Amino acid sequence: MIALVDCNSFYASCEQVFRPDLKGKPVVVLSNNDGCVIAANKEAKALAYIPMFQPVYKIKKELKENNVVCFSSNYTLYSDMSQRVMNTLREFSPLVEEYSIDESFVDLSGHSKSQVIETAYEIKHRVKKYTGIPVGVGVGNTKSLAKLANRYAKKLAENEGVFVVDSEEKRIELLKWTKVKDVWGIGRKHAVRVEKTGAKTAYDFAKLPVAWVRKNMTVIGERLWRELQGEICNELTILPSAKKGIGTAKSFGYKLTDYGLIEEACAFYIAEVADLLRQQGSAAGKIEVFLTTNSFSNTDKQYRNRTIITLDTPSSSTIKLTKLALKGLRKIYRPGYRYKKVGVNLFNIMPKDNLQLGLFDVREKIENEALTKAIDLLNDRYGKNKVKVATVGNREKEWALIKEHRSPRCTTQWIELLEVS
Amino acid sequence: MEELEENSGMIKKSRREHRVLKPTQTGFSSPATHYAEPRIDLNEVLVDNPNSTFFMRVADTNYEEYGISEKDVLIVDKAITPKQNQLAFVTTEGKFEVQRMEVDCKEEIEIWGTVTYIIKSVL
Repeated sequence: MIALVDCNSFYASCEQVFRPDLKGKPVVVLSNNDGCVIAANKEAKALAYIPMFQPVYKIKKELKENNVVCFSSNYTLYSDMSQRVMNTLREFSPLVEEYSIDESFVDLSGHSKSQVIETAYEIKHRVKKYTGIPVGVGVGNTKSLAKLANRYAKKLAENEGVFVVDSEEKRIELLKWTKVKDVWGIGRKHAVRVEKTGAKTAYDFAKLPVAWVRKNMTVIGERLWRELQGEICNELTILPSAKKGIGTAKSFGYKLTDYGLIEEACAFYIAEVADLLRQQGSAAGKIEVFLTTNSFSNTDKQYRNRTIITLDTPSSSTIKLTKLALKGLRKIYRPGYRYKKVGVNLFNIMPKDNLQLGLFDVREKIENEALTKAIDLLNDRYGKNKVKVATVGNREKEWALIKEHRSPRCTTQWIELLEVS
Repeated sequence: MEELEENSGMIKKSRREHRVLKPTQTGFSSPATHYAEPRIDLNEVLVDNPNSTFFMRVADTNYEEYGISEKDVLIVDKAITPKQNQLAFVTTEGKFEVQRMEVDCKEEIEIWGTVTYIIKSVL
């Protein structure tokens, strides 16, 4: 069987592990730049007027009146806590698929059926004890059933965060409880189509003729339909597939007019995405650079533009990509505007091994590669961005995100350890 | 294969090298070749379970009676339930505290973890 283990309000839970004073209190985590609410714990969700993904300035009063504790996102901490959770899950199975930062599929085929319920409770208990993070556990024969079981485990209080589909009765109970629109993998459009047949629950959906499902929802819908019957169609996978597009764009901490600072940010982002590109063994054939002012402002003059640069030969070299991206940035930059954001995207991503080299590329490619490798090794050993393209500069504070309420990175930085007194 | 191991985390590679020492001598090969051992790694010795272990810094002199001084760093393992007389890392009234485990504890405490080691600088 397969378990889907999902952390409860993960970002907020990470913050609460190290803040015992916040037990039972509403906690929200804000997006980069403290712009929007991106996560809320149970207590904060119970305050109906704190909608997710709302700009903070619109609900500032409500947050304050209800003593909601706000954190800037501390992805360094969340990433470390996520690894602790995932590693703890690996004590239960050699096959764990990390589905997202707070969700994993765990293969329990090594556990006998009679043990599975016990194992599911033990997973919940051990992750909480080791890491302080509360999780819900759903178990079924297939990923789709595990996912629905997880939702059921969490939404219905009497399930105590664990639901195991180990009998036909339980499968029917689960499917009858789950509405069509809440089935994992049924999009909004398909949900409407399914509901038009008169089906209300996942159970009704599973009773539709397979021919209808295939015709109206393609083979992907059919797979889902089969999985709800308990037939495995989606196996656990360990390695994520190589990304087809890699990009990053973050709002500046302040509105920028100075070209030099925008250039620094742009070069910084290129270094990040190029690193990702190299780690998956790929090279990019196209770079997009875009630049925009704050479209929410009524007083600022507005300008936005983007440009796409095609490389002669796909590359993953930070130096080459930076050179080209900055050429693009110069082309679209206009003085006299207050810019909010610069971003870069890499396209035409292909495995580095099957590159077709241009006639004159060989020499440059080889030289660049050795240098890039040396830089990666140095940065890996001594810290991010210790060796960088000079354009990146060292004025990060002048353009980087504002994180006014970020908690200490108390699991990765010796100087930010929590204090006890 | 190496990549698979790295990403899946199924096999944890120790950073310590346990294989036979590759000769580095240009003249006589070392008589110690088959006796060399990896040097002690404090992470291995002091941290039993890295996934449940956290470090905490002591801010004042409140815990001198336990041999804990200001600025010491405590290694706290959440996986271990403290036994009698061991040092428990607890939360009481919303604050972290260190307490020696007594048989009957009157206060309302919640155990967060167990202090396993105290790191002291004596410089």
